Amino acid sequence: MATGGKAIAERQEVAVRRPGLWTRVVRQRRRILDLVQHGYIWLWMLIFVLPFLTTFAYSLRTADGISLSPYQHVFGSFKDNLLLSFEVTIISIVLNLLLALPAAYAIVRFPIPGKGFLLSVLNLALYTPAAVMGISLVIVYNFLFHIAQTLTGLVGAYVVGTYPMMLIPIIVALRDLPQVYEEAARCLGANRLQTLFRVELPLLGPGISAGILLTFVIVFNEFLVTLFVAGPGNTTAALRVFNLTRTAGIQPSTAALASTMQIVSFVVVIAFFRFFGSRYLKGTYLI
Amino acid sequence: MARVELIEVTKRYGQTIAVDRVSLDIAEGEFVTLLGPSGCGKTTTLRIVAGLIEPTEGEIRFDGQVVNHVPPHKRNIGFVFQSHALFPHLTVAENIAFGLKIKRRPKAEVQRRVEEMLELVNLQGFGSRMPSQLSGGQQQRVALARVLATDPQVLLFDEPLSALDRNLRDQLKYSILELQRRTKKTAIYVTHDQSEAFAISDRICVMNAGRVEQVGTQLDIYLRPRTEFVANFVGDNNVLTGAVVRVQQRDGQRSVVVKSGALELHAVDTQGLQPGETALVFVRPENIEVLSDGVVSEDEPILQGLVEQVVFEGPTVRFLVDIDGRPFRVVASGPQRLTLLGSSGRRVRLRFHAVVAIRYEHAEAALVPGR
Repeated sequence: MATGGKAIAERQEVAVRRPGLWTRVVRQRRRILDLVQHGYIWLWMLIFVLPFLTTFAYSLRTADGISLSPYQHVFGSFKDNLLLSFEVTIISIVLNLLLALPAAYAIVRFPIPGKGFLLSVLNLALYTPAAVMGISLVIVYNFLFHIAQTLTGLVGAYVVGTYPMMLIPIIVALRDLPQVYEEAARCLGANRLQTLFRVELPLLGPGISAGILLTFVIVFNEFLVTLFVAGPGNTTAALRVFNLTRTAGIQPSTAALASTMQIVSFVVVIAFFRFFGSRYLKGTYLI
Repeated sequence: MARVELIEVTKRYGQTIAVDRVSLDIAEGEFVTLLGPSGCGKTTTLRIVAGLIEPTEGEIRFDGQVVNHVPPHKRNIGFVFQSHALFPHLTVAENIAFGLKIKRRPKAEVQRRVEEMLELVNLQGFGSRMPSQLSGGQQQRVALARVLATDPQVLLFDEPLSALDRNLRDQLKYSILELQRRTKKTAIYVTHDQSEAFAISDRICVMNAGRVEQVGTQLDIYLRPRTEFVANFVGDNNVLTGAVVRVQQRDGQRSVVVKSGALELHAVDTQGLQPGETALVFVRPENIEVLSDGVVSEDEPILQGLVEQVVFEGPTVRFLVDIDGRPFRVVASGPQRLTLLGSSGRRVRLRFHAVVAIRYEHAEAALVPGR
């Protein structure tokens, strides 16, 4: 006991003589911990983007060394595939919007019997495996609608597949939107349509933009269902990458197309949040 | 700007009756307050006038025209909500201009009107701000400006001040009154706050359980409550039951003498009570005067009481006084109250003022002790 007390006393003496030591040790430990934490996060980020970085590096490799020449194919023979991808994406977004807005409005604002069941049916695509969706659509297109291998069939497949991605964010946004804004607009002289366009749609901006973004990312990069329903004339960029890899092996020009797709998606997401997102999110009740 | 009539308006939700045969006639330029506890149907009534809810039965008339099936955007009304309901994606100026733009007014006129309205509510220079950058009081003033901009014929207020703190509320209620007076618009104002209702109304309509209990001026409601609910809801009242023993005319007003236990009280009567009937008698705590020693009674009977409790609240002092074996609440104000602080346990002399008697509808229950 006596020695223990003495040791404590000594330690206290040391602490009094050199006051900054313990604090310095703690600080240094904290810095090391910080570094480890940051390193951990960066490591995972690297693992996530590694496939893309590798593909990008591969797309720059030619017989003459490193060059951008494989990218001339992207704007040459692959141009049509990229344009088709954009085309079907934009049509799908527009159709999704036209379908999801009234549906969300009806589901949230009106008393519909069996609402829950209706919602799960509408969201069926979320939990249907892509291959199942593919074969079902092929059967339906061939025997029921006779739109197999057409552009209509292709866009139809995308709309069916991504409809919930548009519907759900709009439903959530509409549910969170206090009805008092609608009533205020009505009392100020706005009819239903004016209320919708001047008050409700702008305030639903966050939900609608989320829906547009999700639809874009999914449709633009969709491959598996496309494989089932696309006709010979309707080769999207994603399908072209797959076809080329299967027939010609891994070529720098194919990697260039793949990298281009990746960059387009990335740029669209960033641009969307910068322009649309911020404009609509600012000043809404959310922020 | 418009006369508003409600004729036997009823709203049912399934089995529940939210508004029960409410009739009200509001003159042009009049300021009427619907006062009542939450759930009494006052807001539903207001929303029926706005057209946001359709009545199950009855008629709403603006200037004699039935508007039951006119949608809210065609009624030319101004509705101020409890939550100001400013559009968060529009600036203050755009909010005020909203109704004018809907009506396709020329740009120059819209701009002029917006400036005018900002000046009216004392918010010059705030036009380019977003609603979220304003304080609660400023937001409600913008809401008021937005409503007035379209020059509506009827102003409707749904507890517009209840989300604000006390000081702001007192300030804004007089601004609302002043604006209404200046614009001479018919106004219906919903509140559960009686001091608000008393401060700004021409007439007050007290509602309870979907029904109109009493419509009248502040003095009517305060001095001559027609029902037990009004007497108890507006302010505070000491209630007793008794039998009418005599009817008399005093100062041109009919009054009755009600005997309750050993007490004989002179009360104002507006219902034509007859001797022998059972009556409810109300005396407000602030209308019981504690007399200084030496005051001699002229004709008002003076009562004796024992002070049981004294609570000092600053501007007022509350007493619990035992009179004839029954507890009475008494409130004293004015400098005299300070001399009464030490009166606990002492006998005092009291005089009742503004005593009101109404017919007791459930006479058999009068036998229940404690009434």
